[in-house]
Amino acid sequence: MSTSKKVITREEWEKKLNDVKVKKEDMNKLVMNFLVTEGYVEAAEKFRMESGTEPDIDLATITDRMAVKKAVQCGNVEDAIEKVNDLNPEILDTNPQLFFHLQQQRLIELIRNGKVEEALEFAQEELAPRGEENQSFLEELERTVALLAFEDVSNCPVGELLDISQRLKTASEVNAAILTSQSHEKDPKLPSLLKMLIWAQNQLDEKAVYPRINNLSTAALEDPAI
Amino acid sequence: MPASASTNRPADLIGRLKSSEGEAKLKALREVKNQIIGNRTKKLSYIKLGAVPIVVDILASADDSDASLLVQSAAAIGSFACGVDVGVKAVLESGAFPHLIRILSNPDEKVVDAGARSLRMIFQSKLAPKYDFLEEKKLEFLLSLLNSENENVTGLGASIITHSCETSAEQKVLCNVGVLCRLVSLLEGSLNQRDASLDSLATILKNNSDVISKFVGLENGRALSAITELTKDRCPRTRLLACMCLIVIGNTSPCYLQGVGIKTKLISILVELLEDPGQVGEEAPFAFASLIADKEDVQKLAFEIDAVDKLCNLLHKGSVQVKRFQGILLALAEQCSKLENCRSRFLSLQVLNMVTDALNHESVDVRAVACLCIRNVSRSLKNLSAGRFMNEKIVTPLLQLLHDPSTSIQVAALSAISNIVIDFTGHKSVFIQSGGVKQLVQLSKSMDSTLRFNAVWALRNLMFHAENIYKEVILLELTTSTLASLICDPEPFIQEQSLALVCNLVDGGINSIRHVFIEDGNIINAIGRQLRTCSRSEVCIQGMYVLSNIASGNEFHKETVMHQLFPPQAGEDTQSFMMKFLQSNDGQLRTAAIWCIINLTYPDNPGASSRVVKLRSAGIISQIKSMVNDPCLDAKFRVRTVLEQCQLLPAA
Repeated sequence: MSTSKKVITREEWEKKLNDVKVKKEDMNKLVMNFLVTEGYVEAAEKFRMESGTEPDIDLATITDRMAVKKAVQCGNVEDAIEKVNDLNPEILDTNPQLFFHLQQQRLIELIRNGKVEEALEFAQEELAPRGEENQSFLEELERTVALLAFEDVSNCPVGELLDISQRLKTASEVNAAILTSQSHEKDPKLPSLLKMLIWAQNQLDEKAVYPRINNLSTAALEDPAI
Repeated sequence: MPASASTNRPADLIGRLKSSEGEAKLKALREVKNQIIGNRTKKLSYIKLGAVPIVVDILASADDSDASLLVQSAAAIGSFACGVDVGVKAVLESGAFPHLIRILSNPDEKVVDAGARSLRMIFQSKLAPKYDFLEEKKLEFLLSLLNSENENVTGLGASIITHSCETSAEQKVLCNVGVLCRLVSLLEGSLNQRDASLDSLATILKNNSDVISKFVGLENGRALSAITELTKDRCPRTRLLACMCLIVIGNTSPCYLQGVGIKTKLISILVELLEDPGQVGEEAPFAFASLIADKEDVQKLAFEIDAVDKLCNLLHKGSVQVKRFQGILLALAEQCSKLENCRSRFLSLQVLNMVTDALNHESVDVRAVACLCIRNVSRSLKNLSAGRFMNEKIVTPLLQLLHDPSTSIQVAALSAISNIVIDFTGHKSVFIQSGGVKQLVQLSKSMDSTLRFNAVWALRNLMFHAENIYKEVILLELTTSTLASLICDPEPFIQEQSLALVCNLVDGGINSIRHVFIEDGNIINAIGRQLRTCSRSEVCIQGMYVLSNIASGNEFHKETVMHQLFPPQAGEDTQSFMMKFLQSNDGQLRTAAIWCIINLTYPDNPGASSRVVKLRSAGIISQIKSMVNDPCLDAKFRVRTVLEQCQLLPAA
């Protein structure tokens, strides 16, 4: 198959790459932004000391945020709710979807611990009103309550709700909401950069053959196949 | 800890709030707060049980150094007021306001945060007390809030402005004390400060060209460019608020929003924001509607980037939330208000059914905007001619809306009906058989002049090109006496519509003209009466055209018109209104009067000569002769016609 695409050798490519200048401070900021957004407080502290990069957020607030995230990840939802409300009572008051997901997680934890009666009461007292207040929650509400109908919960159609991944999902949602309330971007910049890289390569693929980065974690250049 | 522990039931907790002290009280308070945050149902229960005054009491009596108690009580109060009108009311009635203000000066930052947040919650509600910017001390306090280092406090200042600033005097006062500058500097603050600032700026600038020009002059135009930059921000909410600011500026002072470039950018940004799943997507169509309202050039630009398609696609996505639905319909209504290509596109995208269904929607706002949409789309003559709108699916719900409890909905439905009944195919039967005439006639007798006006307009359009049998049906239902009193209605604009209705009634030859003679000539007598006393040109013009049309009939018709022009009971000295109209400043009126004379003096009729004699002796012919060089071309050429006709007649 003949190709009309331009071919760039490894040598040429590396030369071009070397000509591009990237500032150390910019990279440091990216790393700090990643650590801070993801909530790695100690790493952020250490990095700040070693590199002199200032975080764009008060590190003390990260500790609070991480405590909330950890509580959800461990299944202590009620504790998480109290902590979020201490941090900023507006977050749950203005985020009905998040509040619903936290209540949903509480129910899941009760079911996981075999506390069926309490779970039933909780579903009635706390979850049903959410469905009344907001129609869009009804479908998810029904799925969650369905857990109560099965003897062997881990093998039922809605069993995935019991997965740890569900906890992580909720934890991530809370994390994002707290960041937003603190006027911080809820996503780190690093993934966007990587997405940009992938997009740029895809664009370039239509015009040229060149050493590609196919493995983002190693960032190794792979020779063009000719 | 299970939710069903008996000690945590609302009634028990309230009891503990009242009776316990110290740690126990704080614990109970915290528990209440955590129960109500995010939970509307619980808030309402606690409010019903009288919890609010108790919590406010705790806030009021807590010591300034007791940070925990202050924070928890303030937070609970804020939560009661969050998004719940009953809560806001209870909070205000319990006297929380002054105490929340008090704690804003507490040394503990967390206490200040709690107070500021709660007050902001209150000010997001319409029930919040109006802030008096014109009072010196209040203004100073507001400035101190805006100048604070604390983000929650500046946010409070901004939300007070957004809530309470209404009049141009208030806008001016805020502008004069430098609030604009401070808000502009907050644009460089955190995300929340930026958004709050944009909201307040839009409020201060709205409809005030002086304040707008001061704003644009700030920092050599950098303030305006800052906002323009923010329309491209990462955060959708910021983009929306920045667009709204620019729209507010452009709607009052278009000179600052010149150029196709910026307008196209605004349209594309808003169209893209329409897709946002959250609150931004709900508000975006309203901003879009505001941008294009009454501006044909902007509507054209929007059409060119497929705005109509994008809006209709959102409707096709199914199960649209109420507010968003209202917004999209409003945007479509504005888009179709002037341009035929927009209307055609709209009709081709199969959404008319959804709009018609919306006429029955439970939300009064949605019903209103559905009527508006249909009114605007039915301005399409092409589709009216094709009878596109004259079917039961559209007519029936519109007629139902004429019984709507809201007067403004009735008016909206009437204006949609007014367009739809202009049916060139003559398919008035659908409307008439649906019992529409009865309802329109009913409303034409309403005490409310707006309803009367719109009902008569609808009847006028219904009468347009209607078959004779339908004309009779309408007149029978309306009755000549009602029509006569409408012709002499206290409101001139209703007189005009009524005469236009008669014009349509008599249009169509001898068989139509006879309608004005039934029942002792009630109608024609009313017309004469009105023309004798009336001074508004629009009414007189309409009246003259009616008489002209009648005068185009047979001898009897012409003589009756003469009778109206020269009533026997009028004395020798009273000038005929014909003379008055011929001497009017209004060219259209002069022309209409001359047409009448043309028809009266048309040569092929036996009585033409004697009519000319009568007109001559009343000085009308000489008056007309003096108008050979009338500045109004229509009048000038018609004058020639009269004189030519008079020459053809044998001198009596």
